[in-house]
Amino acid sequence: MEDLIKEAEQTRESQNNGSEIIQVENLRKRYRNITAVDGVSFSVKKGEVFGLLGPNGAGKTTTINILCTLSLPSSGVAYVNGYDVVRQPADVRNSIGLVFQETILDSHLTAEENLYLHAMLYGVPRKEYLERKRDLLKFCELWHERRSKVETFSGGMKRRLELVRSLIHNPQVLFLDEPTIGLDPQTRKKIWDYIFSLRKKKNITIFLTTQYLSEAENCDRIAILDYGTIVALDSPENLKKMIGEDIIIFRTENNQIAEQEFRAKFPMYSIKQLGKELRIKVDDGDKFLPVLVKAISPRIISMELRRPTLEDVFLEITGRKIRENKKSEEEEERFNLSSLFSLFSSPKK
Amino acid sequence: MKKRIKTLYVIWYREVLIYLRNGVKFFTSIFLPILILVFFGTGLKTMLPSSVLNYDFVQFFFPGILGLSVTIMAVSSTMSIVWDREFGFLKEILVSPISRSDIILGKILGATTTALIQGFLILLIIPYLGIDFSRWLFIKAMIVILLVSYGMAALGVFLVSRLKKMESFSIISQIIIAPMAFLSGAFFPLNNAPSWMVKMAYYNPLAYGIDALRWVTLSESLTKEEISLLTTHPLFLCIIVLLAFNLVITFLSTRVFNKSIY
Repeated sequence: MEDLIKEAEQTRESQNNGSEIIQVENLRKRYRNITAVDGVSFSVKKGEVFGLLGPNGAGKTTTINILCTLSLPSSGVAYVNGYDVVRQPADVRNSIGLVFQETILDSHLTAEENLYLHAMLYGVPRKEYLERKRDLLKFCELWHERRSKVETFSGGMKRRLELVRSLIHNPQVLFLDEPTIGLDPQTRKKIWDYIFSLRKKKNITIFLTTQYLSEAENCDRIAILDYGTIVALDSPENLKKMIGEDIIIFRTENNQIAEQEFRAKFPMYSIKQLGKELRIKVDDGDKFLPVLVKAISPRIISMELRRPTLEDVFLEITGRKIRENKKSEEEEERFNLSSLFSLFSSPKK
Repeated sequence: MKKRIKTLYVIWYREVLIYLRNGVKFFTSIFLPILILVFFGTGLKTMLPSSVLNYDFVQFFFPGILGLSVTIMAVSSTMSIVWDREFGFLKEILVSPISRSDIILGKILGATTTALIQGFLILLIIPYLGIDFSRWLFIKAMIVILLVSYGMAALGVFLVSRLKKMESFSIISQIIIAPMAFLSGAFFPLNNAPSWMVKMAYYNPLAYGIDALRWVTLSESLTKEEISLLTTHPLFLCIIVLLAFNLVITFLSTRVFNKSIY
């Protein structure tokens, strides 16, 4: 038995080659009556920005919690930086930095004290700590606030401080669980600027989850999680290509004629009338626009070319928008009052 | 080993830092026991004149109040675990490479320290209460306070580990801490109490702590015979029970805490 494990480990090491920093195989997490993660497999390359997307309750946070040793998988294996998350949790914890969904700073203490505690917890040598603290605080523009208590900080400042803190021990992988949730759009953009320039500076691997699909566009690769399984995994560009066409929406003075002309001239493309607008799907929208203008005789009032966004990808793959939570609605219906009353009514009829 | 001490130090350091930072708590935690001793103690004394008792009532009262305030300080300090869980900071500690048992030991030691500071400050008012004392008595008393506060801090961790909300603390204090306090002999000598009460008090670790405190703090004011009338157990038994309790409760609180995480 032990030989088998050893062998498996050796093959893993030979496969690893230092290029894949996170490996997950057939990961499952079952709670009493729900399966939060249902057989997830993927791997993340070193230096990559990897995004895990999905609606609420899809299993994103559960996956992250397993990867950072906060909860145990029911079955399956996961390796972070070459360490098994179940058997070598201390080594895993040493190689990762975390920013959680919720703010978890100690608000009684100052920014500096929070960082100091963190450095002590991870056993960072004093000299390195002082250097990194200086660099990172200046980089995230918190240097002047370092002696203020965290309770006085704004949401964006707290997030930045958490980012600084998660990097104090120089981790190999940075986990960001919805790092921009609850922040205003400007602050969100700023946080991402910091994250991506950090990545360039430190060559760190970043594993993130987010609900904001527009933010996920910057990832190298994306996995879409739905009901605990991965339904798509690719780069954002490829995912969008999967949907394929660009969308052109336009209005003319006479839509009926325009539609007829379009059908006659371009039978390979589909056209739909949506309200006062016509909507067509084409392969290469840029080049097709001038062709379309020339081909149609009624005067064109307005015209819009839309590229598929990740939101469209998500819609296509899962059949619903990211923030509609159909599942919970259905479940709520099962627990309505009438089912309660049926408990009291006599079964014989 | 060195690394272990360092990590214990971090958890301890944070605990103490928060205690010292919270000026209001710091002040009220010492103010209330003194208030009770001065007003309540002096008031009760008028009902029990020294012609009835062969000792001063405040002399009897002091070790009890000392023990209780140390207990309350130790247990309420461990509430930081619940605070940390509610506001998420516990996660920051849990994902760090520190071992779980060190987290707990650090928490217990932190709470012990706050209770020790509390005990020290209350001990300082001894000369103003008409209790004879010496430097040696002071040291002995601090050792007993250390034993009591460690045990109560570990008990606090044991009770508090599973709580999810700060509000639940009032349940703990009413169901467990209050009966422990009333059955500890802090307010009245237990050996005059009905036997069912005495029997229950046998299982109360705090009763041994208060007895030990009484033996030590009054050792220079009263004779051994006089003190034995006010206590239920001899000093050496108290110390042994306290040590045993501390060992067992450390083990139990570590277990409960480990289970409460996943």
